[in-house]
Amino acid sequence: MKTPPATTAKLLGARVHRVEDPRVLLGHARFVDDIALPGKLALAFARSPYAHARIVSINTEPARSIPGIECVLTSADANELVAPLRMEHRPSFPAPPCRPVQWPVLAEGKVRFVGEAVVAVAAENRALAEDAAAAVEIEWEELEPVTDPERARRPESPRVHDEWPDNIFQTVEFSAGPVADAFDRADLVVSERFRIGRHMALPMEGRGIAASFDPASEILTVWASTQMPHVLRAEIARVLRCAENSVRVIAVDVGGGFGLKSHVFPEELLAAALARRLARPVEWIEDRREHLIASQHARDQIVRAEMAVARDGAILGLRAHITCDIGAYTEYPWRTFEANVTAMAMPGPYRIPAYQYTTVSVATNKCSIGAYRGVGQPIGVFAMERLVDIAAARLGIDRIEMRTRNMIARDEHPYTTITGDQIESGSHRECLRKAVEMISSGPHTGRPNSPSIRRGVGFASYVEMTAPSSMVWQTLGPPGSGSEPAMVRMETDGSVTVALGTNSQGQSHQTVFAQAAAAVLGIDPDRIRVVQGDTAATPRGWFAGGSRVAVVSGGAVIRAAEKVRDKLLGAASMMSELPVSELVIRGGSICRAADGAPISPIAEVAEAIWIGRAGLPPDEDQGLEFTVRYEPPPVTHSNACHAAIVDVDTETGTVAIRRYVVVEDCGTMLNPDVVDGQIQGGVAQGIGGALYEEIVYDDNGQILTGTLMDYMPPTAPDVPRVEIAHIETPSPFTVWGIKGMGEGGAIAPPAAIANALADALREFDPRVNRTPLTPERVLSMIPSKNSR
Amino acid sequence: MKPPRLSYARPESLDDALSLAARYGADAKLLAGGQSLVPMLNLRLADPGILIDLNRLSSLSGIRRENGSLRIGALTRHRELELSAEAAAAEPMLKRAAREIGHLAIRNRGTVGGSIAHADPSAEWPLLAVALDAKLGLRSQRKSRTVPAREFFAGPFTTCAEPDEILTEIDFPLATSGGGFGFQELCRRPGDFAIVAVACRLDLENGRCTAARIAVGGAGPTPLHLPAVEAIVKGSRGENDAINEAAAAASRAVDPASDLHGSADYRRRMVAVLARRALSEAFTNASPS
Amino acid sequence: MNEPLSRLTIRLSINGRKVEREVSARVTLADFIRDDLGLCATRLGCEHGVCGACTIIMDGVSVRSCLLLAVQADGAEIRTVEGLAEAGAMSAVQRAFRDHHALQCGFCTSGFLMTATELFERDAAADESEIRHALSGNLCRCTGYANIVDAVAALLGRES
Repeated sequence: MKTPPATTAKLLGARVHRVEDPRVLLGHARFVDDIALPGKLALAFARSPYAHARIVSINTEPARSIPGIECVLTSADANELVAPLRMEHRPSFPAPPCRPVQWPVLAEGKVRFVGEAVVAVAAENRALAEDAAAAVEIEWEELEPVTDPERARRPESPRVHDEWPDNIFQTVEFSAGPVADAFDRADLVVSERFRIGRHMALPMEGRGIAASFDPASEILTVWASTQMPHVLRAEIARVLRCAENSVRVIAVDVGGGFGLKSHVFPEELLAAALARRLARPVEWIEDRREHLIASQHARDQIVRAEMAVARDGAILGLRAHITCDIGAYTEYPWRTFEANVTAMAMPGPYRIPAYQYTTVSVATNKCSIGAYRGVGQPIGVFAMERLVDIAAARLGIDRIEMRTRNMIARDEHPYTTITGDQIESGSHRECLRKAVEMISSGPHTGRPNSPSIRRGVGFASYVEMTAPSSMVWQTLGPPGSGSEPAMVRMETDGSVTVALGTNSQGQSHQTVFAQAAAAVLGIDPDRIRVVQGDTAATPRGWFAGGSRVAVVSGGAVIRAAEKVRDKLLGAASMMSELPVSELVIRGGSICRAADGAPISPIAEVAEAIWIGRAGLPPDEDQGLEFTVRYEPPPVTHSNACHAAIVDVDTETGTVAIRRYVVVEDCGTMLNPDVVDGQIQGGVAQGIGGALYEEIVYDDNGQILTGTLMDYMPPTAPDVPRVEIAHIETPSPFTVWGIKGMGEGGAIAPPAAIANALADALREFDPRVNRTPLTPERVLSMIPSKNSR
Repeated sequence: MKPPRLSYARPESLDDALSLAARYGADAKLLAGGQSLVPMLNLRLADPGILIDLNRLSSLSGIRRENGSLRIGALTRHRELELSAEAAAAEPMLKRAAREIGHLAIRNRGTVGGSIAHADPSAEWPLLAVALDAKLGLRSQRKSRTVPAREFFAGPFTTCAEPDEILTEIDFPLATSGGGFGFQELCRRPGDFAIVAVACRLDLENGRCTAARIAVGGAGPTPLHLPAVEAIVKGSRGENDAINEAAAAASRAVDPASDLHGSADYRRRMVAVLARRALSEAFTNASPS
Repeated sequence: MNEPLSRLTIRLSINGRKVEREVSARVTLADFIRDDLGLCATRLGCEHGVCGACTIIMDGVSVRSCLLLAVQADGAEIRTVEGLAEAGAMSAVQRAFRDHHALQCGFCTSGFLMTATELFERDAAADESEIRHALSGNLCRCTGYANIVDAVAALLGRES
């Protein structure tokens, strides 16, 4: 790794206006529903009202007879258009085995969750399509649903997938170190059963796709609200049984993803297939009800965890049994790996000498679970950080002291954890110390001003796994690449085009990578345009997520820009007959380094290179364009400590967050404003999961949270301003020492808030072991005679 | 999430509106602010077929004193009431409650009459109407009548209004000088529907309560008037014992249902908590006589 | 207007421009603005009046366009995001959002801009708590609100 050159320091870590903003503010953003496609048909679905039922018959005639309806499809029609969505264990890949899952595009034979798509209607507009979908007559035979994951594990439970012997999708076992011995000789064993509620990403823009087949070019163009244009392209080609080179995917603007849109869904594939079959553009724009019921849920795990500790607070061993309710299908095309990430996240920043875990991922008659900001990390951190506080309290040790004692020290890095993860660098104790310092001074640190309010402070430290390599992804589950490409081209006028394999859903990539390339090239970022999201205009990449883009796309951009810069300087050297070491790029010109005197405009050198008149050796091609593919190290780890002060109203159970502190270390920061924005936004989502957001199913598998009146993301009065401090411990392995951090803000809030709540109510010795911590649940922790 | 097919009529006068209501009755729905009705159309939870838009009936809007009451036209927007100096002077609890309704954009369109006619058991205006013993003016082509709010609500989203009747005005009593009010609403986030809410208005003489009006919302199929609680409060000076006894009585008087946002048991307990807080507030905030 | 009709002609002003259209009674104002008028910056986030992404200004006040039928806008003056800029230059509200990094994905931004425009034009004096309450009807999933609050506070002439 090279540290960024000193001259780039001014631009790096700078606060600049975002290039994305003017077009959005002026109303020129184009999300999928904004793409004008004359003659487009709208798709709507008749969806299952039952969690588990056999489809006895479907009568589509009442729907077909409505004027303006183009076609009505059932599963037989869909299967003709779309190859099966099937996910299987591939033994040649390192990921653990799992059951095969066949996800029908339209429900076939039976439905497996409320909201599953059964009949598709394409019509002149969405209102008509909904009229037709409502007119379809379906005869059902209700089957007994299974909705509780622990019950679903039992062999006598109703089967979600009839071809499986039971409902268990996957079991993973792990053991390392002297686990039995650790628990035998422990002075204290603390154990708890943690329940993390089901919630979801809820981006403000739901899913959406618009597809159009152009007979002139024979290309199927698909506009999609996606985090992975290239992967979606490959999937569309696969299921439509056509060549990948005949499909183009374009993501212009995407209204948030948070992991949900790093998946492919049957509705999307059907829309693309219909566009090709009907030779008319077809659009499917999910509405909020579909989004809440039938898109993709997240979290929903039970963690039974035990920690063995010595009298002095040293952690001797850890055991965890993790059950994940994955719903009816699995995340496509990846295969669910949530529970395994939870298990891997538990050790966190601590030295754990022995660790045994079992994860069980169980199918139920609910919407499928998939990746959402942090994946299993918020759950693992919740369990671990609660156990640390519980153990500290039982031992009578200060919980900060207990954390510090067990944390990996700065000079112990690179540190190989008990799971074999190598943490390359970190500032766990420093972040903790700083967080304590920040939260201990300032407002709301005194006693609350009402006798019925209890105030508490809580902490949560974590290590975030970011930017995994290809091998690590494939070991987790997804059969994909960890690398990313970037193309950097300097045009003949000296302006620069950067093309990325990833695309942004709000993470400011176009600003950040223009800054990075500008810093390398020594030019103004205004001269750089970053192109993303269009598979016809970008090198083939993978996806935006896993906190990987700054590291991997960033690494590729920087490396490619360096090649452009080096070639430019090399040509300038030939043309000026000065050695490269005496040249520098500044203010739009090649200049003499010694005194800054301009020698020639950049454009002049660039053009000369492009037409072969720069005097470069014959083995260097004409052209000032490089595509670099960067494969990151196995895992890059950032770390942080969150601290929260909460006030609990002991009469109502309401929790108010008075202050929230984050001390974050993500190594070298490309743009602190963007990093801070990601933290603030991530914390807001974490607060949602901690206190407000819950997807609720009843015992019949009916989903009760089908509108935003029932599913409650936090609003402006609910989210405090996060006080942020940064420590910068670069990675020794990545380009410029950059580490990922996009998910981090969402990882620790449930733990920090739960710990603060436990602290506030410590006189009642509460069991704080689940989320969301609704007022009613909090009130149940307070004995009645005290809640006056 | 698009509305079903429908037809739309926009009368320009109250007589035209009454004529349409008479003609279409239960086959039509009246459209005022739309903040409750249109979501139901979009979600296809309502399929009225015919909408009668009342928004051109400017005679149904306005706030003024009339015959010793504060008369609020049914079409008055929440926002207008929130900002009205007239209303604040006549009964300050109205302004206090108006601020809690939804969010700014909802208050800009939603109407007092629409909220009362919609009869959501958790909504603010039905609660205040019952608490303050408001009188509701209803008109049809056949007749005009006045119905006490305490007799108007029959169940969740159900009133005694007949299919051809239009709610035209709500008369709130003027607050007596020297009294105090308490308004307590428990919700998950600001602007949400209340889990439970308590409204009370006390008349006070030299610190002693001479008359009390108290109701609770969100704890039953309709807002519930609490005469048993009023009886305990009347004659007291807001002593802890009296308030606690009153709060306990309030809790015993309700029989709430359980739902996603609160179990019956939680709601019952919160009724006691909010009743205590509302009564303390009323005694503490009493304006000097 | 005493017969219920399923199609009506409406006349309204949109960002200062007068238009006349025939519309179906069931089309919402949000869909009319997007599909009939081609102004797609007004966004659909929930279509049941909770998220605020569809917020526009109608006759001087902010309203949720998904909770109005297009036929109700007859005779109204409508302002959307597309009408905020003056001669291509961003309005004070738009500049404040840019200056404070108050948007990330941008999907909720139009709704916030219109709410903020009403607050700004009303010149409401407000502290941070009141600003947050005034914004409570607009959902954002990306920013965590802090920078939006800062932008609005700056507009209202307050340090936050």
